Amino acid sequence: MSLLLPSRRDLLAAAGGGFGSVALAHLLAGEGRGGEGGPPVDPSWPLGGLHHPAKVRRVIQLFMNGGASPMDSFDFKPALEKHHGEALGPKEKPEGFTGPAGNVLKSPFPFARHGETGRWVSSMFPCQAERVDRMAFLMAMKTTTNVHGPASYMMNTGFMLPGFPCLGAWVSYGLGRIVDDLPEFVVLPDPRGLPYNQKGNFSAGFLPARHQGTVVDLGRPEPIPDIFASDAFPFARGDADRDTLAAIGRLNRRHAAARPLDTQLEARIASGELAARMQLSAPATFDLAGETAATIAAYGLEQKETADFGKRCLMARRLVERGTRFVQVWSGPQGAVDNWDNHGSISRELPPMAKSVDQPIGALLDDLRDRGLLSDTLVIWTTEFGRTPFAQGGDGRDHNGGTFVTWLAGAGVKAGATHGESDELGYQTATGTTTVHDLQATILHLLGIDHTRLTFRTAGVDRRLTDVHGHVVREVLA
Amino acid sequence: MRRLHSLLASVGCAFLVITGHPGIAGEGDPAATFRDQVEPILARRCLGCHSHAAGQMEGNLALDWKSGWATGGDRGPAIIPGSPDESLLIRAVRHGDADLKMPDDKLPEAEIAILEAWVRDGAVDPRVAEPAAAPASGDWWSLRPLVSPPMPGGSGPAPQNPVDAFLDERLATEGLVAMPETDRRSFIRRVSIDLHGLPPTPEELAAFVADTAPDAHERLVDRLLASPRFGERMARHWFDAIHFADSHGFEHDVFRPNAWPYRDWVIKAFNDDLPWPTFVRAQLAADVFFPADPASFPALGYLGAGTYDHSAAATAPKSFENLDRDDMVTQVMSSLASTTANCARCHAHKFDPVSQEDYYSLQAVFAGIGKGEVDWDPDPLAAAARKRWQQVASQALAAPETLLDDRENVAIVAAWESASQARAVWTTPPLATFTSAFGTELERLDDGSILSGGTAPEKEVITVTLRGPHPPITALRLDLLTDDSLPVKGPGRAHNGNLHLSEFDARVFPASGEPATVTIARASADFNQESWTIQHALDGNPATAWGIHPEEGKPHTAVFVLAAPVALGPDDTLAISLRQIHGGAHVIGRFRLSATSGDPDAAIALPAAAEEALAIPAATRTRAQQASIAAAILTPLAQAELTKLPPPGKLYAAATTAVNERGTIVFPAPREIHVLRRGDLDKPQALVGPGALSAIAGLPSRFEFPPGTPESARRAALADWFVDERNPLTWRSIANRIWQWHFGRGLCDTPGDFGRMGGLPSHPELLDWLAAEIRRTGSLKAIHRLICTSLAYRRDSVCPPELLHADPDNRLLARMSPHRLDAESFHDGVLLASGRLDDTRGGPAVAHFSQRPGAQLTPILDYDAFDWDSPGATRRSIYRVVWRGIPDPLFDALDFPDLGLLAPTRGFSASPLQALVLANNRFVLHHARHLARRAEAAAPDPAADPLPAKIGRMVQWTWQRVPTSEETAELVELAKHHGLEAVARALFNADEFLFVD
Repeated sequence: MSLLLPSRRDLLAAAGGGFGSVALAHLLAGEGRGGEGGPPVDPSWPLGGLHHPAKVRRVIQLFMNGGASPMDSFDFKPALEKHHGEALGPKEKPEGFTGPAGNVLKSPFPFARHGETGRWVSSMFPCQAERVDRMAFLMAMKTTTNVHGPASYMMNTGFMLPGFPCLGAWVSYGLGRIVDDLPEFVVLPDPRGLPYNQKGNFSAGFLPARHQGTVVDLGRPEPIPDIFASDAFPFARGDADRDTLAAIGRLNRRHAAARPLDTQLEARIASGELAARMQLSAPATFDLAGETAATIAAYGLEQKETADFGKRCLMARRLVERGTRFVQVWSGPQGAVDNWDNHGSISRELPPMAKSVDQPIGALLDDLRDRGLLSDTLVIWTTEFGRTPFAQGGDGRDHNGGTFVTWLAGAGVKAGATHGESDELGYQTATGTTTVHDLQATILHLLGIDHTRLTFRTAGVDRRLTDVHGHVVREVLA
Repeated sequence: MRRLHSLLASVGCAFLVITGHPGIAGEGDPAATFRDQVEPILARRCLGCHSHAAGQMEGNLALDWKSGWATGGDRGPAIIPGSPDESLLIRAVRHGDADLKMPDDKLPEAEIAILEAWVRDGAVDPRVAEPAAAPASGDWWSLRPLVSPPMPGGSGPAPQNPVDAFLDERLATEGLVAMPETDRRSFIRRVSIDLHGLPPTPEELAAFVADTAPDAHERLVDRLLASPRFGERMARHWFDAIHFADSHGFEHDVFRPNAWPYRDWVIKAFNDDLPWPTFVRAQLAADVFFPADPASFPALGYLGAGTYDHSAAATAPKSFENLDRDDMVTQVMSSLASTTANCARCHAHKFDPVSQEDYYSLQAVFAGIGKGEVDWDPDPLAAAARKRWQQVASQALAAPETLLDDRENVAIVAAWESASQARAVWTTPPLATFTSAFGTELERLDDGSILSGGTAPEKEVITVTLRGPHPPITALRLDLLTDDSLPVKGPGRAHNGNLHLSEFDARVFPASGEPATVTIARASADFNQESWTIQHALDGNPATAWGIHPEEGKPHTAVFVLAAPVALGPDDTLAISLRQIHGGAHVIGRFRLSATSGDPDAAIALPAAAEEALAIPAATRTRAQQASIAAAILTPLAQAELTKLPPPGKLYAAATTAVNERGTIVFPAPREIHVLRRGDLDKPQALVGPGALSAIAGLPSRFEFPPGTPESARRAALADWFVDERNPLTWRSIANRIWQWHFGRGLCDTPGDFGRMGGLPSHPELLDWLAAEIRRTGSLKAIHRLICTSLAYRRDSVCPPELLHADPDNRLLARMSPHRLDAESFHDGVLLASGRLDDTRGGPAVAHFSQRPGAQLTPILDYDAFDWDSPGATRRSIYRVVWRGIPDPLFDALDFPDLGLLAPTRGFSASPLQALVLANNRFVLHHARHLARRAEAAAPDPAADPLPAKIGRMVQWTWQRVPTSEETAELVELAKHHGLEAVARALFNADEFLFVD
């Protein structure tokens, strides 16, 4: 029963501020930290921002769960062809490898140059290949571990341990909501299962619980959990629902009237009203009836392989379009199959994964552009780590945090840019290393947030998303 | 008010702003350039390891003043003004020299350019005064010696309760007038929810309202403190502080089915008012402090409360163990001493007097244990028996002569020797059949033995049969014999002559009737390979076996005593199977089977040494000879006694030997712990032994032990360090938590951190007085009682605007802070109101979800598919399964914390999504239905029961009061259109239910 709120209320009160609507706005996180003790937000900043004018107002993060292989997708390594079959890997099993390193393994897929920038892309990603000129590539991403759980935590929360807030939660905490009638941070997990760390990747950690990701299951009639009662409870549906929520509102207002100045009670009343608005607007968000046949086809909703990821990409576009600030779309559940953790065989396990995401991603980029959303929307394609240039289990690859690829597209991104290179074999980064914290700092920067100044004090430390690290990678910024 | 404001600045979610905006420097003013551009870079990138304030100057280099870099450190001056290329600092930040790269994360080029320009322009640095030394000294409120302060006196009649004495003095100083006492209904609701997590029943409420005795409040508090529901409430507070949950967290978020004995121990400890030093000692080292009390053992679950990264443990063990120890140190130091020792993992604590050496000494305390399940005997007799016979078995193996130090052992051996003057007489009956399941060619030799030939198979099962009639058999004997045809003469067929007898089993096939398994009471062998004893041939586990390495090349004997004699009639058959399924051709080369009808006590396979010793008259045997007999007799007895014991209970804890998904994890000795430079495992520095903080005056901080001391001594020493009277942190920490559990906020509002980044206590004298009381008496209940019977605790929560303005945070407690129910109180309150609360206590945790296998170790949980009418479903929430990574959406919405980390305080959220969950979660709706049914059923004559009466009952059960006429009208209207269930739903969602005044 610790009361985080009174301290804020009291800061206002101590400063001679009034109560009511002003304090309430803060309580409801309709506004983020910008209004609560950070430097004042400049209203002339068109896209908002906490510490400087933002270039980005909304984010779609595409997360390839399991460790997408760089040298079979975007990081062309001719040396693998040359040294194929040679024992060049580490002699002792490095921490986090699931087995000893095998011999050098060339990519089973042909690579070709694409676009005006001439980016090398493997044959697995034809649709993304067509759009490379719109992307900026971080070719030498590095993380701190070769184990899924800690690496997924690292990419999502900046720490290798559970209990820390994820990027989406920090953004919600820092910037608040764009609109009142949709959740600000939505997670669209693979319907086949949650990623490594389960919901730990979407946690608000020690931030107030309202900043955690809302897990939306498109397989359900009502994708937002508990937005409506189950039809097993007719007394809570339809008119009964409407009348009961209205009665609750009246009861609560009477209750609050006898307890003037209690902002917790005001917050509850306001949240009830917003809940009713969300009930009205959310169903339309998830109803694809208004989408054209061309759009449905473009996202691949009519083919079995791409239908699921395509639908979630389309939903991500609909959500950001209507004002959700941060949407995370996951490709692949945890486990030995159906994800990017291709230990057994790159040639067998990677193609179906690539196929499932490639066309939808291409469609998403086009759709966002065509609707003008890319002017303030950032798209991130990433994964928790890369894979070894050494073989495992035939033509599979083991975990490798040494180097991997992330691309960015959209607002604030220098289209066609590339930063960093991996070494000859693609085992470690060589130049222009981008750490996970650097990526996080860069994303926050685009959102108008200085990653060193977005903090929350817990257990004696002013915690940040980027711990004590992170540099903005200006090389990929417009 | 100034004091109050400075207090406010330190509470809540502070928002530290690091200043420094490169690019806004004043033109032409080098000092301003330094301040605006250079200093922020130094502050952010360098001073953490090179400053007075950080308490460390790596390489003896300080960069926080001009003389620091001009004099330089071990490598000489860091900056040569005007010469960037010759300046070590510039070379270091460029990362150009392999052995001089600072900091580890290379600076952005823009920052390097600023530093280069500054040095080139002469390195103007206005910081000419030497900075003050590290603030991280021991002179800090929480580290000062704990002395019970005098109780405030003052004019007027002094309050009786010390809590009021301290609080009232402060209110008087601040010129504030306290709110009057709240009404009886509000008080009993407040104190019941506070102490039990449940509101009062209408009967309890009526009784208290009608109680006119002057001590009515005190008796109410005493009644609540005496109820077992008290411990159920307090335990959850403690579990938040230590991040206790029922699953691992991380990638493989595996269930811990045996975490619950710790939960039950904590509940009981709070209910029994276990003295705090005992509570602390038991949790850290019950095995040391209370070895004879098995009921204390589950306290060790404390050590296993935190997360476990199964995947990293398997594939990245070094970093896993480091982080796992860090998890334990963090938990222990925060929960017991409100200290953030873990901040010193990478560098000396920036704010508090915790050195890296202190931190790694704490890691060394836990360097000999790992998380997993350990065995324990809830029954003290079984515990004693298991301990005795395990000890006998290990003595017989390691130091047989010590067996003779125990009179009971000596008596058993003497009795055996006198009773079995006549040694067993063995006969080798002719075998009716002998068959191989895997193709060994078996040949019967003249002495009745069977010799294996042909290609040795990987595995083998040899079955021999014996046809009746045969006199009652009391024991069977298996001789393994050598033969020149076997590798190194056998008796096995493995390359070295070894063999593995996985299982020995016997069955009787009567002439008529069903076959029956023959129970073997005990077995002995003349020699047992280490960890491959004859008992393994009887344990039903095909993965274990009896072996004879390194004593190959010699004959060996095993004897199996039957639980009851087996007599064979003329057409009865005894079949004996020798299963050798371990693989690697560890099969038998030559064997002979014999039987006896004599005294089963005399049937024993003795090692050669014991056989020889027995031939010598007892009076002339050496001690070693006598010991060899004792070991031979006592070993099978110990094994037989151990098998008779009930299987041990399991507890999820941390120990030198613990079982988890990876198997049995053993720490033969504590790991060596080094200070790690910047927390980097690849940069080990000095070796450290176990210890604790060195900043506590008069309290030794390093634990010295002679070599060979078991690791448990380290934990015991740390426990003693905590509960030492000279350690002020321990007593202040728990006193503050108890305060927090009643007022929602501690006297210090950062209960896990009493350091400089934490809050300052609002009433330091009161905190010290309470802490000293706990140190004096050990009793927590006395403190709970003191607080809950104080006048401060009875105050009204509604307050006038002036008071709100004067003390907006209510740190001075002129009023009570209203608060929302936490997730548990909401859940349990719904159950109580709907008449569904199941008060069953203790035992395995109840899952509030359905479950199916996931892709890997983590299952898929569905909270929506749970049947709330299933048995045990409506027990109190303290008994539910808390799954770290897959939280219950209802609890999640009500701010149940993420237990990946410690959660010393709970947050408060209000959001539309929370409102939707409360309105539509199946648990709420299901019990709304039950509440409506209960209201319907409660009337003596349902037909004559008017709607307002039913609604009145429902309001009474949920809100503990009578509805106003306005409320009744509102709810009757709702009921008319949508039924009583809709009314019940509204009542559960009303702030009248959700909030406590």
